[in-house]
Amino acid sequence: MTNVLAYEFAWGPVLDRWDLFLLGAWLDVWVTAISFVLACALGIGIAVLRLSGVRLLSAPAFAYVQILRGVPLLVFLYWVYFGVAIVIGLNFSPVQAGIVALTLTGSAYTAEIFRGGLQALDAGQAEASRSLGLSRTGTYRHVLLPQTLRIVIPPLGNVFIGLLKGATLLSIIAVSDMVSVANDLNINFFTPFEAFTAVAVILVALVAVFSAGVTVLERVLRLP
Amino acid sequence: MVAYTFQWHVVPESAGALAHGLKLTLQLSAISFVLSLVLGLVVALCRLAPSRPLRALAYTYTQVFRALSLYVYVLFIYFGISAVFGINLGTFAAGVVALTLLNSAYMAEIYRAAIQSVDHGQREAALALGLGHTRTFSSVTFPQAGRVAVPGLVNQLVDIVKDSSIVAVIGLLDLMGTTIQLVSTERAPFELYTATAVAYIVLILAISAAAALLERRLARHVRGGGSGPSPLERMQRYRFGGRVPT
Repeated sequence: MTNVLAYEFAWGPVLDRWDLFLLGAWLDVWVTAISFVLACALGIGIAVLRLSGVRLLSAPAFAYVQILRGVPLLVFLYWVYFGVAIVIGLNFSPVQAGIVALTLTGSAYTAEIFRGGLQALDAGQAEASRSLGLSRTGTYRHVLLPQTLRIVIPPLGNVFIGLLKGATLLSIIAVSDMVSVANDLNINFFTPFEAFTAVAVILVALVAVFSAGVTVLERVLRLP
Repeated sequence: MVAYTFQWHVVPESAGALAHGLKLTLQLSAISFVLSLVLGLVVALCRLAPSRPLRALAYTYTQVFRALSLYVYVLFIYFGISAVFGINLGTFAAGVVALTLLNSAYMAEIYRAAIQSVDHGQREAALALGLGHTRTFSSVTFPQAGRVAVPGLVNQLVDIVKDSSIVAVIGLLDLMGTTIQLVSTERAPFELYTATAVAYIVLILAISAAAALLERRLARHVRGGGSGPSPLERMQRYRFGGRVPT
């Protein structure tokens, strides 16, 4: 049979370096995990400010969310890594710049999710616990947040997966993640199809695993 | 610590080039948006089709194509697919294909949820009145589903505009690509990236505002309209359309 395609498939270079791909993927995962935790912490703070009822606090929180949701991650990454670094005279490592950009981008989304989660609760919940003598903090800690947590898990899972997809951009600023492994392979062996297929397969697998994880978590935490 | 001297004068000097890049960003986004609207509907119809293999295929499409990031798409299409088939896709065309594949998968899910939200009785009544399947869909189901889907679909445009910045990585001189190029000659990264970030923010706020206006107008014609979804319903909506665009 004559070969219709001029391209010779060569899976060898990719298969020989499966460990490098997995190491790169691991880097993407832990950068995502750190950014996600920070984005959640920041997001809760902003959501509480937005719902504080004090205009001086809620207006900046609203502006923060609107502005940060309008910036593409790539622009953010370059802004932090090249721009801000020069202005404040601080040399970010590529991974640090990536975590900053992912955290700030993610926080705009988590803030909206936590706000939605808190608003989804009946107003009577807060009123009842306040009239039972719980402090404002106690009301949040013991009554509102535990309920909110269960509502926000699926959308937060979405954010985690979104950040994981965003983390693949980090190879642009020379983080040696799985995409940079693929880029190196492409340059050295000219196997673009095989190299980027490997990245795509790993990414699809990771997203499937994390989606399943979110579903399991949701089931475990479900109230009886 | 060396004090930094801002060079904001670079931004107005580069306005012409940036405007040209912005035009390309708008073209890329608009073409990808329209193509995604069409392809997304086709995929959604396949997902609801009576044929089992077709449904499975469409399901796989939505699951796999939503799992990849636009950056991986761009690399895969621009380098991988081009090499295999020996075709020389330009950066613009590669960007259109990448944006369309990713966003059609998201839009398919928005369409599907909207079509399924139309009461069963509507379809049954139309069929009982003697309308064919095609006619039932085009005159009864789709007009109602469309109203539900429109806000989500327009919001997808926000993601397309943001994602389109990634095509700059393969050298397209869109807004982001032009900025990267200007930074290498003007050496004012903070000022130029700030200007570009502001341009994206303004663009995205404008689209969001238009989407909100459209949603309010369409809600007027829906029964019990005007009030919109409850906060809890809004949260549950994240299961379908929710995503963090990169």
